[in-house]
This record gives sequence, C-alpha cells and structure tokens, in this order.
Amino acid sequence: MNTNFSVDWFFISILFFTGAYCMVVSRNIIRLLIGFEIISKSAMIAIITAGQLSNNINLAQTLIIIMILIEVIVVATGLALIVKFYNNYQTIDIRKLINLKG
Amino acid sequence: MSIYLLIYFLIIVSAVLSVISKKLINSAIMLAVLSVGVSLLFFTYEAPWAGVFELSVCAGLITVIFISAVSLVKQDDEAFKENRVKYTIFPLILIIFAILSSIFVPDYFSKLSNFSIYLENQNEPVGKFIWLYRGVDIIGQLTLLSASVFVIKHIFKKKKTAEER
Repeated sequence: MNTNFSVDWFFISILFFTGAYCMVVSRNIIRLLIGFEIISKSAMIAIITAGQLSNNINLAQTLIIIMILIEVIVVATGLALIVKFYNNYQTIDIRKLINLKG
Repeated sequence: MSIYLLIYFLIIVSAVLSVISKKLINSAIMLAVLSVGVSLLFFTYEAPWAGVFELSVCAGLITVIFISAVSLVKQDDEAFKENRVKYTIFPLILIIFAILSSIFVPDYFSKLSNFSIYLENQNEPVGKFIWLYRGVDIIGQLTLLSASVFVIKHIFKKKKTAEER
C-alpha cells in the first residue's frame, strides 16, 4: 500500500500542467479536447489517492465511475459539434469559431 | 514503491507525447496509452472497478471516438499549419515546472495530508455505495446520458428536401 501522498500529488501536478499547456497553446479544437482528457485523468488520480489516504477507496471508485461517464458524454458531444463545424466551414481552427454568430 | 514510479513515468511520457506529436492520430493513440497507464495505477491502488471502467471506456470507447473524428477531419489536419515551436519547447518548460513543483508541492501536500481523517471499517462493497449511498447520482447520470443522445441526434439531423415537405 502506497502512503506517500505528496509524491503522488507531485506527479498529478505535472500531468495537470501538461493538459493545461495543451489547452492554452493549441489552436486545433481536437487538441483542446485531448488536453481536457489529460486534465480529467489527473483529477481521477487525485480522487483515488485521496480515497486511499482516508481508507475510503470504494467511495472514490464510485465517484470515478460517475466521472468517466461524464467524460464520455463531454467528449462525444464535443467531437460531434467539431465534425458538424468542419462540415460547414472546412476548418478545425478555434479562431475561426468567431464566424458562429447568432 | 518502484512500480508506482514506473507507472507514473509511463503516464507522464505518454501525456507529453500526446501533446507534442505532430499528427492527431498519434495523439489519440498516445491518449489510449495514457488511459492504460491510469488503469494500471488504479489496479495497483486496489481499485479494480475503477480500473476496469477506465480500461474499457477511456482506453477503448473514447479512443475509437477520437480516431473516427480525426479520420473525418483528416483533410484539414494535413493542411492545418500551426506554429510548432510552442510544442517543441514544451519538454523544457515541463522540466522547469517539475523542478519548481518538486521544491514547493511535496511540502505543501504533506502538510495537507495531516488534515485527512482516517476512517476505520470502510470495507463495504462498491455496489452498496453505488445503489444506496449515491443512488441519486444514477438519475443524474441517466439524465446526462439522454441529454447527450438528444444533442447528438439533433446535430446530425438530416435536412428535409422540398419534396419530403
């Protein structure tokens, strides 16, 4: 059993920074969703380590199952919107989204 | 402890590769490897249910959705010229961030972990947590799922031609 909470959170912070950097610098909409995925993975690891710290791992597993479902919904809806946007405008540049008016 | 460090190394490397890789399809595959690493971490943390869900849904379903979406927008992906400098310098920025966070983060979180409450006798099964303690969440999940199905159905709705009207 691993009890070194601070080492876990060191790696979680690195993973969070990776996803956040990807979301900040990228102009490609699919890369934004990939960054979102990486951030949500870091949040999942955070929940499971916090559950282990308080000896309440089963509740943490329940929360993670709920979180995975929400993640799938967000990714599926987001990618559907991207494909529809691509069909209309033939681009996946986030700055061209300014054309969506009204 | 070494197995944890190995899995964390796999996770960080696959995350960095998914950010800096040039083609979107490689990014999606590296995201699947990241999910596999996270599920391995869950198994080693004695959380098998979360590991199974992560492996089947995140490494399987989400990767398939990503790859199909990437293949649909492939023409623009090849023509899309983006400045690569911000991706090539990313490992350097990450190393600087890791050095800074190794100075500040462990002290802070070791302090923070002193506030946690260690619960005794929490050996109830996962099913009891899902169906009894967090049973209301199931309604929320079903609502979200049905909302997303309606949204996707309306996004890809076929336009009626003049004859059908």
